[in-house]
Amino acid sequence: MSASAQDIRAALERLRVAGRRLRNRPVRETIDALASVLETWREPESRVRRALCTEYAEATSFSPAMVEAGMARALAGWTGDSLRSLLDRELGGIEVLEGSALRNASGFEVTSVMLAGVLPSPTLLGLLAPLLLRSPVLAKTSAHDPVTAGLVAGSVAAADPELGACLEIVRFSGGDRECVDALLRADCVVASGSDETIASVAARVQPPRRLVSYGHRLSVAALAPDRPTDSAARLAEDVALWDQLGCLSPLAVFVADGERGGATAFGAELAEALADLEQRWPRGRISPRSSAAIRRERDEAEMRAAGGAPVRLHRGAGSSWTVVVEADSRIRPAPLHRFVRVHPVAGVPGLVEALKPVRHHLACVGVGGFADRQSEMIAALGQLGVSRICRIGTMQAPPLSWCHDNRGVLLPLARLSDVNGAVFEL
Amino acid sequence: MHPMSTADPDRAELDRRILAWMGEEEAAEDEARFEELALELFAHQFARCEPFARFCRARGSTPKNVESWRKIPAVPSGAFKEMELRSFPREHERHVFRTSGTSTRRRGELHLDTLALYETSLLPTFERHVLPDLGEPSERMRIAILTPSPLEAPDSSLSHMFGVVLERRGDEESGFLVRRGELQIKRLLDGLERATASDVAVLLCGTAFAFVHLLEAMECAKRRIALPGGSRVMETGGFKGRSRELPRDELYRRLHRALGVPPDRIVNQYGMTELGSQFYDSVLRFPGTSRRKLGPPWARVRLIDPESGDEAACGEIGILTVLDLANTGSILAIQSADLGRALGEGFQVVGREPGAEARGCSIAADEMLQRRTASQPRESGRDHPS
Repeated sequence: MSASAQDIRAALERLRVAGRRLRNRPVRETIDALASVLETWREPESRVRRALCTEYAEATSFSPAMVEAGMARALAGWTGDSLRSLLDRELGGIEVLEGSALRNASGFEVTSVMLAGVLPSPTLLGLLAPLLLRSPVLAKTSAHDPVTAGLVAGSVAAADPELGACLEIVRFSGGDRECVDALLRADCVVASGSDETIASVAARVQPPRRLVSYGHRLSVAALAPDRPTDSAARLAEDVALWDQLGCLSPLAVFVADGERGGATAFGAELAEALADLEQRWPRGRISPRSSAAIRRERDEAEMRAAGGAPVRLHRGAGSSWTVVVEADSRIRPAPLHRFVRVHPVAGVPGLVEALKPVRHHLACVGVGGFADRQSEMIAALGQLGVSRICRIGTMQAPPLSWCHDNRGVLLPLARLSDVNGAVFEL
Repeated sequence: MHPMSTADPDRAELDRRILAWMGEEEAAEDEARFEELALELFAHQFARCEPFARFCRARGSTPKNVESWRKIPAVPSGAFKEMELRSFPREHERHVFRTSGTSTRRRGELHLDTLALYETSLLPTFERHVLPDLGEPSERMRIAILTPSPLEAPDSSLSHMFGVVLERRGDEESGFLVRRGELQIKRLLDGLERATASDVAVLLCGTAFAFVHLLEAMECAKRRIALPGGSRVMETGGFKGRSRELPRDELYRRLHRALGVPPDRIVNQYGMTELGSQFYDSVLRFPGTSRRKLGPPWARVRLIDPESGDEAACGEIGILTVLDLANTGSILAIQSADLGRALGEGFQVVGREPGAEARGCSIAADEMLQRRTASQPRESGRDHPS
């Protein structure tokens, strides 16, 4: 049921009260509860994982087989221990939350989270992170995923009812200005979405409130001649998982073979691998508009080929998957839903040139090969602003500690105070 | 009127027959005539436009085996941004229309060796759907055009179209109200008030975005005008690349409030730079019936199921694909970037519904890439400079 502005204001009040109780408990109790939530989500036979393969898959039109495979991969490294390690890495340890260290951290009185995406794991982490800092959370569900936030809330409540009272989920239209304004009254606001959405929220969240914003990002892959022999199979999985709708999904592959033949050959291998995956992890249902965008891009590729450009098109039945081997490195529109372009580039400098038009929006580059040019690659991609470099085949499995733009998972949500010197000594 | 292309006798003959149809008073639908001309034009273009011929061959379609206009392969409109698609020798080129664009975006180009078909096609269709109540061809009305003139925007097919309309049907006080890229708000409003005081009906034509500009200026100045009965609005195009967007219903509601022109006297035109013919809402021609797009008898629309590539089932959404006999110099079959649904003897353009589909954070990547590279026209897809 859609929440009203009054409902949201009332929820914020309840959460402020619940938050006071939470902050009076030992920190370790909260951390243990959240670690157990993660462990539950990692269990393939858990109720929540079953719900993802049924309710979530139905609501998002993803295929259940792909959801199961995607969750297994995404959560592989997300253990309870990794949550504790995250605390150590970003804040310096549990003591920092207990007020017994020279640096102390606390969450805000209430954090509101405006969810926007369709993938479950960013939603899971986005809701657990403020709780780890003992900040209660009011979350607006994503229009694209009405299920996951509720599943997270259910898991937290099952693990620890008092902690569960610190996480409430509301649903309303993003166009409901009164509701959005009510949500933005939280002390800390986490917003995800397009540049336009972020700008709109930023204009309405004034200090002393904190805004933590996550804009849209895109990812690509880069291959060199010394790439693994199973590169096509690995990359096909990166493409197929979440049907290319995540910011870690590669939209384009750059083949730095020094000659075009490498891209052509790899395109054929990738096509074969995607065809194989379509049997195991079928692509989800898509709208006529998305299907039309795929058809248009396919037809345009065919027209470029008809015009004499050495463009190759590989396609599955209907709009299920598409590989376009381009004649150049120019980035072109990406209709998503398992539509990937393969571009030839001349080495690392060519890759850098090709990525420049999208440098401000790059998230991850999946790499295959480049063993002899490792330093050059890392430096070049870092200069472009790439926040994650990983092996192809692991693009959809970011560690728990990697979060959008690598700004940290907890730090953006925390208030820090340092104790300088022997302040309290007599 | 520009001369016909005469260098190629086959083409000249085709042009002559198509122009004859366009010139007929009350030109009517004629399936057999359309079929014959479409297949001949397909064969002509297949023989003269090599990229089109290769595209068709790759689909197994040639003039030898295509027996119906419905089977002629349609070229995606985006291809006009990638290559020059003409069915005449380059040296015969007389005019180029371009889609809107910026320095970072490629622009689509329609290369023409004659403007005769474009101009002959546009006027009767415009008259039939926007001026159905005007009697004699000599009868004129007050027309205010919210675009640059053809002199200022020579590569804009929309400006060119309005230039022809203005020349044939505009009165002495009619004119273009965009100068050096700026909408002349004061001049426009003063003119509308003068017309209102004299009880002279006005036709306002322009892009949807220009009307948003006008509305914002009027609302800011708290000005409203109740234009005389018989006034009407013709708007076209979407909001691609613009910072402000308005749902069409809201645009019409605000136009009604600001200008006194009710929604049933506001006509949306569906056109593309790549097409020689246009389609118009039926509201003025067939008042009281469902709003649907109608075109001239020499242009047909097919709705293609994007998954199968076959014609969409009745009532289902499909890709709008236009077969336009006015496109003799380029390609006659164009696949648009828009979706539509058949309605009666016409069609409706289906707009993008916010949140209609699960999308992830790659959506912006999609849009971002589209913004940064060759972009596609959107809903109600005319893609003109404005």
